[in-house]
Amino acid sequence: MFARSANGNVAPKRVIEGQATNLSRTMHGIAYDGIHDEIVIPVALSGAVLVFKADSTGEVPPLRAIQGTRTRLVRPHTVAVDPVNNEILTADPSSRAIFVFDRMANGNVAAKRVISGPQTGLLDIVGLDVDPIRNVIVASSRKGNGDKVGIFVFDRLANGDVPPKQFIGGANSKLAHFRQVAIDPATGNIFLAQQNTRMKQMEAYVLDKPREGFKAKEQEEDDDSDEGRLDQMGFIAVYAPDDNGDIPPRAIIKGPGIRMAGAAGVALNPKKKEVITVGGNGFQTFLLPEFFKPFRKPGGTALPR
Amino acid sequence: MRRLLIAGSTALALALIGADKFTLAGAAAGSTDEASLDELLASDCLDDAAMEVAQAAARLPQEGGVASDAWPPNAVGGVIPPLRSVSDPFPTFDGIALDTENDRVIFSDENRHSLLVYDRTAGGASNDVTEPRQWVFGPKTLLGYIAGVEVDPKRKEFYTVNNDSGDRMTVFSYDSDHGNVQPRRTLILPHQSWDVSLAPTRDEIAVTVQQSNAISLYKRTAVGTAAPIRTIRGLATELEDPHGLYFDETHNELIVANHGNWTQIRPYSPYDPQTTDVGEYKSGAFHPSAITVHAADANGDVPPLRTIEGDLAGLNWPMGLDVDLTHDEIAVANYGDSSVRVFRRTSKGNVQPIRVLRGALTQIVGPVSVALDTKNEELWVANYGDHTAVVFPRTASGNVRPKRVIRNAPKDTPTCGFTNASAAAYDSKRDEILVPN
Repeated sequence: MFARSANGNVAPKRVIEGQATNLSRTMHGIAYDGIHDEIVIPVALSGAVLVFKADSTGEVPPLRAIQGTRTRLVRPHTVAVDPVNNEILTADPSSRAIFVFDRMANGNVAAKRVISGPQTGLLDIVGLDVDPIRNVIVASSRKGNGDKVGIFVFDRLANGDVPPKQFIGGANSKLAHFRQVAIDPATGNIFLAQQNTRMKQMEAYVLDKPREGFKAKEQEEDDDSDEGRLDQMGFIAVYAPDDNGDIPPRAIIKGPGIRMAGAAGVALNPKKKEVITVGGNGFQTFLLPEFFKPFRKPGGTALPR
Repeated sequence: MRRLLIAGSTALALALIGADKFTLAGAAAGSTDEASLDELLASDCLDDAAMEVAQAAARLPQEGGVASDAWPPNAVGGVIPPLRSVSDPFPTFDGIALDTENDRVIFSDENRHSLLVYDRTAGGASNDVTEPRQWVFGPKTLLGYIAGVEVDPKRKEFYTVNNDSGDRMTVFSYDSDHGNVQPRRTLILPHQSWDVSLAPTRDEIAVTVQQSNAISLYKRTAVGTAAPIRTIRGLATELEDPHGLYFDETHNELIVANHGNWTQIRPYSPYDPQTTDVGEYKSGAFHPSAITVHAADANGDVPPLRTIEGDLAGLNWPMGLDVDLTHDEIAVANYGDSSVRVFRRTSKGNVQPIRVLRGALTQIVGPVSVALDTKNEELWVANYGDHTAVVFPRTASGNVRPKRVIRNAPKDTPTCGFTNASAAAYDSKRDEILVPN
């Protein structure tokens, strides 16, 4: 946890870590519940979602842990919290599913709703947020064949194998290798962190077994790198809540500021009109009031000036 | 001149960071301003390295690239400098490998993605940076978020493993491999491989794999996509988020430090099918940290020979470990309580360590690896929570000062503590930014 005003090479104000926390050193998501003052975090390597008091520090146990056979969690990657409807959401790329739990769920409990199946188009789900005002769930997911690589918008109460009500993706979108999504509650604007514009490469292994027929591209740059090739820079993209189809973003942060030209994470401070981007072992804060304004013409391409 | 449209807010941001070369009258009036990319790049920036990238990007052909001024059409924003930027410009020590034949010590640096080689006698009482004799660093090296490091004194080679961003092991050589150089050879590994250990007589290497809860073994000379010659994996192995690894050829054993996280990982990549039949679903679990010892010839789901685990052992996110075959001891970097714990090599069950190094005087802060030197009677500790490595007498115990300190940054330089951070949240109550690793 860093002070919002942190700048330069600074140590965190607080750290939650150690055996008793049940955290691991592999966590890809985080959400803050401002109403109940809690932190929600997925633990990919133990199939769990943990909830901590937001003022925790040091080696403290979680308040609640969602884990067990009824949860169907395998490798939860990203989380969101809906404090209005008292729900915790997590997306699990191993389960190929979005799970919605009661906010107070603790232990071996089943999800209230599960969005999963061929019609959903979801596969490698790496970003997730919920908008309780517009009643939608927004997820970012990737398929290796280039089909259905983008942002999926579902009804908040969607359950089962249902198609998204909106989908942003395609060649014009340049969406390829992205991760975290965030929604501005006031406008519904959707923010996405994209690491680079090249599709994530195929891994040589399927878990611990060599992938059949895999051919390595020796000396190729790492597609997970936040320092991606300069002609394939990542960006922070912003879309209107009703955006749909193969469209470019309405607003963008690109270039070196987003951790050497790519970011994996994005968070918002709507009160101060700040966008926080994370990647490359660092984070940056951008001051962008325009990004927190509603789009006047849904379907158009320009923000009001 | 190529021009970049900058909205009023961006100009305001520039004003806040002191970029007074811009004409900001428009911003003050609330109107849209224009400033050229060249002007922007010429301005002061909080992150000099980022600006260098921007300058390089501006020189590239921009057809189709998002750095182009033209994409996306009619969108606001663009190449915008950050208001604030938090990162650590210095290396952070992660893995450690000691070569007492050639008097070298090699560290992996997860933060800057580099390998640093020092003389074995390096360090001292200085508050200044200790100069490495060899530094492997740059895009040609293919180093990503590297973790464990190993050395082959006979061939004067050193190995490291990318834990993320490029699933491979890279091998470099002494002396000539300095700076931005290609590795001598590379071996593709499973994702989240953490440590590597060499068995010179068997001519094998062993690698721990966190997410698969596995040890994969390869021929030492394996390159490219060569498959493992055997893999130890499964519920019976008790491998749970394995990290540090030591290949003990004398006793034909593999010694592993485990964090205790376990899940039955299933394929998750965008290239795998939507559903994969991997049998009955088993839920994730939190287990205590443990040191497990496996038969080196084991293959498949084989139980460990013995395990050190329990309250008395005090293991807490144990990271790298080393084995002293002369005195039959295991030393482990206990990240969770900033200690080094030394156990009898043959201990099992809930046993106390025979020595613990811990306390403010030790300067051990978030240790990630250790190395034992029986030739010179020293114990090395690589700190991730501080920009140092500290060297003790081999049998040091308790809260004692190190005999030497190796620094990769000036004394008291802070560390951000990131290990491939990829998400964030904003805590509106405390006005804090939350970042998981």
